[in-house]
Amino acid sequence: MSIRTAGGAGTPPLDDAARSRVRAALVDGAAAAVTGMPTGVPVEVTLPVLRRARSRPGTLGLPEPAFAWKPVFARRSLGLAAVRACAGGRFRGPAGAVRPLAEEAVDEWRRTGRRTFHWEPWYSGLDAGARAVVLADATTWATPLWSAADWAGLGARAVVGGTDDLWTCPGPRSVRLRARYEARVHPAPARPVGCGADRPEPGPALVSVSGGTPGEGWDDDLAYLALVAGMRDPGRPVPSRVVGLWPEPGLRRTVEIDESVLTAAAGRVASVVGLLAAATVDHVTVPAGAGA
Amino acid sequence: MMTTEQPRGERPTEDRGERRPGAPGGGPVVRGVRSAGGTSPTAMSGWQPLSGAALLDRLRVTGRPRPVADPGLAGDLRAHLEHGIDGPAGSVPSHGPVDDAGLRCGPGAPLVVTARRLTRALACPVHATGDPLDERGFSLPLACGALVDVLFRQLVATGAIGDAVTDGMAGLGVDDHRAPLVAWIGQLAPTELSELRSEVERQADGLRRRWPALDPAWLPRTHERIRVPLAGGAVELVAHVDLALGRPGGDEASVALVDVTSGSRRPAHRDDRHLHALIETLRSTTPPFAVATYYTRTGELDVDPVTPELLVDAARRCRAGVRALTGPAAGTVPVVDHRPWCADCAEALLPVDGSPVATGRVPAPAPVPPPVAVAALVAAEEQRGAADGPPDTSDEVVSFPEDRAA
Repeated sequence: MSIRTAGGAGTPPLDDAARSRVRAALVDGAAAAVTGMPTGVPVEVTLPVLRRARSRPGTLGLPEPAFAWKPVFARRSLGLAAVRACAGGRFRGPAGAVRPLAEEAVDEWRRTGRRTFHWEPWYSGLDAGARAVVLADATTWATPLWSAADWAGLGARAVVGGTDDLWTCPGPRSVRLRARYEARVHPAPARPVGCGADRPEPGPALVSVSGGTPGEGWDDDLAYLALVAGMRDPGRPVPSRVVGLWPEPGLRRTVEIDESVLTAAAGRVASVVGLLAAATVDHVTVPAGAGA
Repeated sequence: MMTTEQPRGERPTEDRGERRPGAPGGGPVVRGVRSAGGTSPTAMSGWQPLSGAALLDRLRVTGRPRPVADPGLAGDLRAHLEHGIDGPAGSVPSHGPVDDAGLRCGPGAPLVVTARRLTRALACPVHATGDPLDERGFSLPLACGALVDVLFRQLVATGAIGDAVTDGMAGLGVDDHRAPLVAWIGQLAPTELSELRSEVERQADGLRRRWPALDPAWLPRTHERIRVPLAGGAVELVAHVDLALGRPGGDEASVALVDVTSGSRRPAHRDDRHLHALIETLRSTTPPFAVATYYTRTGELDVDPVTPELLVDAARRCRAGVRALTGPAAGTVPVVDHRPWCADCAEALLPVDGSPVATGRVPAPAPVPPPVAVAALVAAEEQRGAADGPPDTSDEVVSFPEDRAA
């Protein structure tokens, strides 16, 4: 399940004009989708929301259960930190990294109040047996990602983890797109200096890890990650490809990113925003007779 | 992690009629955690469980060359398994919940095939239908197995176990799915709790003494889930591996898979680990070099080097099981006999109204053609086996004489 992170040879990097066209399509589509919504009610699109819109649209807009930390929520952040630390040469594998990293984070939080992972207070309050489950889950989550590429060899070109991509659609109503991926790998500088300087630099490859097996629309999911990454900062190149890893079946699939892929992704986002807006209106509006 | 006390076909000691809160379905409560004392190999022969470096060597050194990546073999095994299975639009029936947290039920959902489900389907036609018997009642052996399971993970993850029951209960406590079991343990009578504590501490002590720290470079991970879709996703083979070591997917096998069980040694465990070898081979095209079962009750370690023959056997058995689960008889097999086929269905086969149960027909194991590229191996094996038993009467429906049911 190794990753080929170099950009696709046949896919030219997106220039600023193409990015602007995609952005315009996204803004127009989202604005039209939320026309009937009251102002001040935010709509946030994430990958889980996109998946629900595809498989269980009836659940969109339903209230989420109250959040509580669980090992399954902590394993990604700790696992990413473990892969990052292993890539830096500090540990020989995730199994050796998770415990010291968690303990360091808790120590740091106790000393300064700063939360590296946000779950430090919860983790520090667990008994030893429960903490072991957190560490074991993080190790099992991180190992396929660590095994998928020569992260140490990629050096500074690979960025494991990082903050979520967030893009807010301009307009009177708040529409936010949020996306997260597990790693970003920048292409090796292969072009001689001064040669083809008028062409945009090829974008990075994004690496996304998912549970289960790739279901219908897996390529849409990967394209969404590139869309948000491409919108969030005009100064950063649009990703050239997104690599999806499904460790349980050992599958790796790739979507090469071009303008048509991003435009299609923008269209899907607009339709999901429309579904969310409709669901929000349904849930915000108090039905006649309710509470009587 | 498996928890077994009763060999297949042996009736458990039951406390019938007592329902306890938290026990799904109010099923029978099996009493007693069998300790290895007095019947262990140690007591009988002076045999000592492996520990430390010797235990690891037993896992790592199989005496055979390690398999290499063989996409052709993996492809043949897959083709063999998929032959005759309908695709997503086909007629694979949806089944009830099984022991897989990720099962998707309902129309169009894949049939999830786990080692346990396969074994039960092959052992007893009743279990080829829905899975009412999956709602087992809690028992002390099951609780012991669950606790030892989290303790083993803890040992691998942290290198230490403190107070075994305290740590184990804390480990179970962060898993929402374990809440009913935790509640059940919490209301055990003092004598039962003492018995459970004693056995868990004994097994945890064995783990502490025998299992060495695992080098992080070997990439040890616990509770690894392996999932292989077949026939366009109509069927999913799913393995939950208690411990996996080594980097998957290399040119040469470097993965070893270990199942950990707190129960007694059973022949089905061998089939289970062979199925896991098959699923890992299908996933990564490189077989694991070894599959093992570790018995926390006694410290026994069974290790099988993975060979093409092993994988072929596993594929044939798997295919027979999938056909038992998906074939025309699946979901329609009525009660088959006056007598139970296995301990689990003994209770289920008792007629509710006390009337005699109709005699039915039992589908025989389905024929399983060998994979193409390994046909020679299978042919040689069949030639060997021909002297040992009657020819395969596959695909026939065998009538059971009335006198057998008497």
